[in-house]
Order: sequence, then structure tokens, then C-alpha cells
Amino acid sequence: MSEVDLDAPIPYMQRTREYYLALGYDNPYRWAHHEDVPFTKLGKPLAEARLALITTAAPYQPDAGDQGPGAPYNGKAKFFEVYSGSTADDPDLRISHLGYDRDHTSAEDPNTWFPLARLREAVAAGRIGALTPRFHGAPTNRSQRTTREIDAPELLKRCLEDEADAVLLVPT
Amino acid sequence: MSLVARHIEAHGIPTVIMGCAKDVVEHAGVPRFLFSDFPLGNSAGKPFDVESQRQTLELALRLLESATEPRTTVQSPQRWSDDPSWKLDYSNAARLSPEEIAARRRAFDAAKAEARAKTGRS
Repeated sequence: MSEVDLDAPIPYMQRTREYYLALGYDNPYRWAHHEDVPFTKLGKPLAEARLALITTAAPYQPDAGDQGPGAPYNGKAKFFEVYSGSTADDPDLRISHLGYDRDHTSAEDPNTWFPLARLREAVAAGRIGALTPRFHGAPTNRSQRTTREIDAPELLKRCLEDEADAVLLVPT
Repeated sequence: MSLVARHIEAHGIPTVIMGCAKDVVEHAGVPRFLFSDFPLGNSAGKPFDVESQRQTLELALRLLESATEPRTTVQSPQRWSDDPSWKLDYSNAARLSPEEIAARRRAFDAAKAEARAKTGRS
């Protein structure tokens, strides 16, 4: 990457492919790709809408080793089923199970991956009508088929149960 | 997450994704995407910078309100740093010594084995 290119976003797909090839794995990951993209218009003013929050962060598990801040990659901290928590609480969520940029991110401030505090402020200011009573956790590093057939329908079901008018998804 | 957003949107609930991996999310194809050109792990704004986080959320909310068609990406005007050299480090094989590459391979294999042991999958 030349200095000129540094103004462009990191080409993660290319970078990852080359990285795993260099490590000796020659069966490159195939990123999901679609031609058609669905679209639904927001049906009411945001100030009257209920917003749901979906995260890839994991609840802290005391028995699952170092989960940060600043922990090395920790596969033991992963979760494998959709979970939900109350948006009225302040959950202890970590990202040690995810491939975030460990050179330039210390993972000390959860607000960089889980914007619940900022969302509450937006509700208090009248910008958003309300948050749904629950936020939801989406498992990662699953096969695309598992995500499509099990996790995505389960997350949709929970958003419908909570009568969400819109959903904010925050991957890490 | 892109697959989840697509599924929810297809069933009638509008979605917006906040993220830092532009090529991955756009390759999948999603309805609305707020892109922050930050290191992975900072999708919702800069650490200990409430104003950055507030602005990032506000941009996502505006996108939810204003997009008129799918694949609408908005890029946050925020910069991580005046020095963009952080972009050279992430998973960059060209910057690793043979010893580092071997160590990372061992760590990757160990992490995979742990995950397998936990799920009982092979």
C-alpha cells in the first residue's frame, strides 16, 4: 500500500486473503455477496419510532479467560446462540472474541462498539421515540448458512416481538 | 451482520449498520451503511470521545430517515488521526517477519481448536 492509497479505506477482503495465504491456509474465505438488496422505508417519524439495537459483542464470562480490555483473541469468549439483554441495564459486553484492530484499539471504552449510552441520550432528547426493551446479540464466525437460516430469523423474531420500527446494527 | 440486516429489512423493518469495514459490508449489499474510516472496533465512534460517538449515531439516524434506496452508504467526515499510517498494520502479511507469521499460525490453530472443543463441532 503506497502513501497515496492511505486516504482510501483498508481493503479488508484482499488484506485478509493475503494474510491467511501467508500463514499457509490456502482455502480463502468467501465473503457474502448479493446483487439484490432489500429496502423498507421508515414508516413513521424517528421521534415516534421504537429502535432496536443488535451487537456482535459478548457478555463477559468470568470463566472464559482474558476478555480485555486489550486481551489477545479469545475464542473461548465466543457465543453460539442469539441472546438478549435489557436496554434499561448497563451490560458488561466485551469484544475479545472478535478480530478488531488490536494495534490501534485498546477496547477500553464499550461505547465505541455498543452505543447504548448515546442512544439513551437520543431518546431523552426526543430524537428517537424509544428503545425496545431488549437489545440483542448476534453470534459471529458462523457459516453464512447458519447465520441465514438460524440466527437472522431468530433476531427478526425478537425484533418483531419487541415491536421495533427500526434496527441499528453495530458489528465490530 | 450484513446478512442479519438484509433479513430484517426484507421482512419490513428498516435497518442501518454502523461499521468500519467498507468493502466487506458493501460486498454483501445492505440497505443503509454508515461507514467510519476507523480501526475495526470503533464502529460507534472514537474511544472516550462523547462528541465523536454522538455525531456517529446522529449520522446513522439521519441515514435511517433519509435513504430512498438500498446500498446507501454515508461516510462519516471524522478522521481517526492526522497520520493515516495505522491503516498499514491490520493483518498485513507484508509487515510480519517469518517468526511472527509462524507464531500467529500457532495462535490461530490453538484458537480454532478451543472453539471446536466448546461447540463439539469438527
